[in-house]
Amino acid sequence: MRFRPLSLALVLLGPASLAAQGKPITVQGVRSLTFGAVLPGVPRVISRTDPVNSGQYDITGANNNQVQLSFTLPNVMNGPAGATMPIVFGGNDAGYSQSQAIGSQVAFDPKQSFLATLNKNGRGSVFVGATARPTPTQRAGSYTATLTLTVAYFP
Amino acid sequence: MNTASKLTLAALALVVAGATTAQAQGVNGSITATASVQAPITVSGTRGLDFGNVFPGISKTIAVGDPGAGLFSVTGQASTQITYAFTLPGNLTFGLNNLPISPWTGYVNTTNSTSGGSTFPPSAVAANATLSGSGALFFFVGATVSPPNNLPAGSYTGTVTLTVSY
Repeated sequence: MRFRPLSLALVLLGPASLAAQGKPITVQGVRSLTFGAVLPGVPRVISRTDPVNSGQYDITGANNNQVQLSFTLPNVMNGPAGATMPIVFGGNDAGYSQSQAIGSQVAFDPKQSFLATLNKNGRGSVFVGATARPTPTQRAGSYTATLTLTVAYFP
Repeated sequence: MNTASKLTLAALALVVAGATTAQAQGVNGSITATASVQAPITVSGTRGLDFGNVFPGISKTIAVGDPGAGLFSVTGQASTQITYAFTLPGNLTFGLNNLPISPWTGYVNTTNSTSGGSTFPPSAVAANATLSGSGALFFFVGATVSPPNNLPAGSYTGTVTLTVSY
């Protein structure tokens, strides 16, 4: 019976040391993907390198930690009176930047999972662009949709 | 193996099992995609530019305020700036015969009136105007034809095109 305290200590130290290896991981949407004025029948393309209109997420976590990025993407944007407008994501429409600089991205397909490595400070950014495809008879008004980025890591 | 060793190994086994069976953990962040769809632009040729009877050697002018002035009606997004440009003929034609038409005059207004708007020189050079609060704009077009003295009689026509975009 005198050895039980030692055994319990080892058990408790295991998870504690894993948690101590890195900072809590976070992901924050910091800029909306903005199409601005869109004309019926005229596709509007926003590049992931557009510093004003592209979407952006910032990620924080353990230094040099590898993470898996995956998106939940909409097929349409929702507008007035139930109207919808197609939104399309191409295979080059997402980019990861370890330096968090929009001009220094590694492109990836937002419809596929992507493995990324946080920088030495435990940071990284994801940028996303897309194409809005209004129909020729698209109802006028404001349209919105939500893009969710899931950042998974393996403790 | 004594009791102490067995307990210690059991504890280590638990630790290892915990590490190897750890599941991927994830966090989510979301952004919004937004767009503002504008009302489509429509352009209608509401009234032709009509010179009526013209006589050889006598120029004739239709002013923007005359009943024979051409009229285009534009609709689109309320209070939104548009760009417009004209494609103008240099001649009205009847078969191979040409009736020179120049210069052109224009008047743009947010109401169907040649009062309260502004004049402009119709040309292929793009210019800007703003749709009314109800999304309307009107372009009146006038011009002068200068028939030569030997111009054959006939019905002379040409096409004036107005191109409008946001």
